[in-house]
Amino acid sequence: MNDFLLILRVRARMFFASIRSLSAIRAVSFVFVIACFVLGAYYIFIRVFGYLMSVEVIGPGLLDRLIEMALFVFFIMLLFSNVITSFSTFYNSRELDFLFSLPVPPTSIYLAKLFENCLYASWATLTIAFPLIIAYGVRIGAPILYYPLSIASIVIYLFIPAAVASMLIAILLRIFPKLGAREVIMISIAFILGLTYLYIKINNPGLLKIFETENEQTLLLFAAQLTTVGGVYVPSTWLSNILRGFSDGSADWTFSFLLLSFVSLSTVLISFLIAKACYVRSWLSTGEHASKRSRRKSLLFHPQRQVARTILFKDLLVFVREPTQWVQLSIFLILLAVYVFSLRKTPIYFVFPLWRTIVAFANFAYISFVLATLGVRFMFPTMSLERAGIWFIGSAPISFKKVLLVKYFFNLVTAVVIIEVLLLSANLFIRVGRGLYFLLPIIGLFVAASLVSINLGLGSRFPHFHEDNPSRIAAGSGGIITALISIAYVGISIVILATPAYNYLSHTFMRMPVNYLLVYSGFAFFVLFNIFTIIVPLRIGIKSLERRDY
Amino acid sequence: MNRLVIKNLKKKFNNTWALEGLNLQLNQGEIFVLLGPNGAGKTTTLKLIAGLLRPTEGEIVIEGTNLNDDPIKAKSYLGYVPDEPFIYNKLTGREFINFVAGIYNVSKQNYETRLTELMETFDIGTWVDELSESYSHGMKQRVIMCQLLLHNPNLVLIDEPLVGLDPKTSKTVRELFVRLKEEGKTLFISTHTLSFAREVATKIGIINRGELKFIGDIEELSRISGKKDIEDIYLKLSADNGIV
Repeated sequence: MNDFLLILRVRARMFFASIRSLSAIRAVSFVFVIACFVLGAYYIFIRVFGYLMSVEVIGPGLLDRLIEMALFVFFIMLLFSNVITSFSTFYNSRELDFLFSLPVPPTSIYLAKLFENCLYASWATLTIAFPLIIAYGVRIGAPILYYPLSIASIVIYLFIPAAVASMLIAILLRIFPKLGAREVIMISIAFILGLTYLYIKINNPGLLKIFETENEQTLLLFAAQLTTVGGVYVPSTWLSNILRGFSDGSADWTFSFLLLSFVSLSTVLISFLIAKACYVRSWLSTGEHASKRSRRKSLLFHPQRQVARTILFKDLLVFVREPTQWVQLSIFLILLAVYVFSLRKTPIYFVFPLWRTIVAFANFAYISFVLATLGVRFMFPTMSLERAGIWFIGSAPISFKKVLLVKYFFNLVTAVVIIEVLLLSANLFIRVGRGLYFLLPIIGLFVAASLVSINLGLGSRFPHFHEDNPSRIAAGSGGIITALISIAYVGISIVILATPAYNYLSHTFMRMPVNYLLVYSGFAFFVLFNIFTIIVPLRIGIKSLERRDY
Repeated sequence: MNRLVIKNLKKKFNNTWALEGLNLQLNQGEIFVLLGPNGAGKTTTLKLIAGLLRPTEGEIVIEGTNLNDDPIKAKSYLGYVPDEPFIYNKLTGREFINFVAGIYNVSKQNYETRLTELMETFDIGTWVDELSESYSHGMKQRVIMCQLLLHNPNLVLIDEPLVGLDPKTSKTVRELFVRLKEEGKTLFISTHTLSFAREVATKIGIINRGELKFIGDIEELSRISGKKDIEDIYLKLSADNGIV
């Protein structure tokens, strides 16, 4: 136990030392960004919860259902992120060679890594869960006990997916020691997806569908169903019962809290026993079987004629061979595809062209925000991932400008494909007018070009050459600053486009005269703004790379 | 024309001078070995010449081209091997070598034959097609040596060339350096291995606390220090109050 605490203490000291090493501007920016995010999320939650509480009959039930579903989604996200980070934390970290050489029981190393992994995989979810829980407490007028208890419950809750993910991977590696990171992560994710499917089947997904009726009896029946919380075997339900217990007393929070604590402790204990039985052997087998496969057919099996193609092929190979990268990207893209296909079933009151147009604009904003998030996760770490080869690039007869521009065009093509496919198919499903059908994808080109520039440019300005895990690079202070700037860029773009959009809607649906000056100047300003957001971040990145010591 | 000219080169990290006013000239066919204790400024010097660090003051001229004015041209003459041989974990050794060949635009004529010869020289086996994340330090070092010779630089910068190499490869490397010198290449090597310095160096430099304490050949070293054994000479000159 002492060894475990000692390892944790060393990690904590390293963490605080890294915070102390931040410059004052960076530290203030970091705190500012986090504060903006948490306060912004709190504001949105409090408004949405307030609105739902004011809706007669079904409002409170809908709010409870929303909270339960949010916690369920958090649980699935935590399982995914824990699985993705577990392999590198428990089996593929350079620090493990050192730790296993020490006279320390492997279980102490396991527990320290479990804490570390839980923290890394959960902090983003926690950042959203925290304002959600506080806003819910404020809206229901919860007593003071609610706040510490709900925060404690969330922390207890976080250990369940962390322990489950570590168990899953340990068992898989024990049974199939020759599996690589890619196979282990894929099997684990398939397993989680299967469980999620079962849960949704058992828990009656019909309750989530948009409700359409004019019959009062059916409405009351629906409202009654909303307050019937299903899925009693799922930790998110126990957590939501703890929160709901303070609103109307409809759930026994004491029982749920004890149940959650018991299950969390049991899961950690079981994972500890599994680790005791097989962690060392699993870790040793990953070392023995890692990467022994010969790769005789690849893009770089022969040298390329062009420098740009050489860099491009190297980046592609490194990306497809890093499971944490493409597994996460695949999950993102699958979720986005599900979202776009769900637009085929737009509710009945969206048949009117005005609503369809508004939905199309909202969808554009949403997809832009999603691209901003994808950019921070996948594009921001690009330059930092050169860490192993930076000695070579820095000493080779090639400019950082060229390296960054090759990466820019590669990422731009990817971003354009994603945003265009999403916008064109979503517009098709929403059935927007022809003009808007083509206009929004054109605007999307600018958004893609700017977001790629912001992420690559600032990724070069705030590189993290000592870290080889892209998720952790994106989660650093530079990544968070870039996330805020990306989101601010999308917000400002939407504000700029609001004027021509409003004119378009007024003219098309209310027969109002068009103010062409406002429309054209709005678009012109948008283009100028994007020229700035494309050129400036890239220039900042190039200058920073050229002036840096390696 | 000198192959490498360093004029009053200085480097400061925060408030600490890592290198203070280095002056050096190297011609073709020379092997310059830089000796010095840990933290003396050896790696800093090599990184400055390789363009991985920006000088605080001074200039570096490679084959008549100022590194600051035209870094791309200046770097096209040099090849650099760092003290820690990092290779992209998710590339195989062969892919890394081909990546380097692509960046340096290495001629495709007889490329495969030259690569096969170099792989034989450095005893690189079929493991060259496995991901480098499974390589030992020595295996990575051999791959890096291989890529270095494939693009055939005039000025070779090597930081600790023998670390991690087995005795057989070590001997190959020493013989190779002598052969490169005879071909007119210039080698700038930083090392702690004194026997290696005695065996291959045409010029030796001793650096301590960022200052070049001595530069000359082995005979001059013996004469100045009054010692015959290179280990004694090194210990005397690299001491804090060593003779300049």
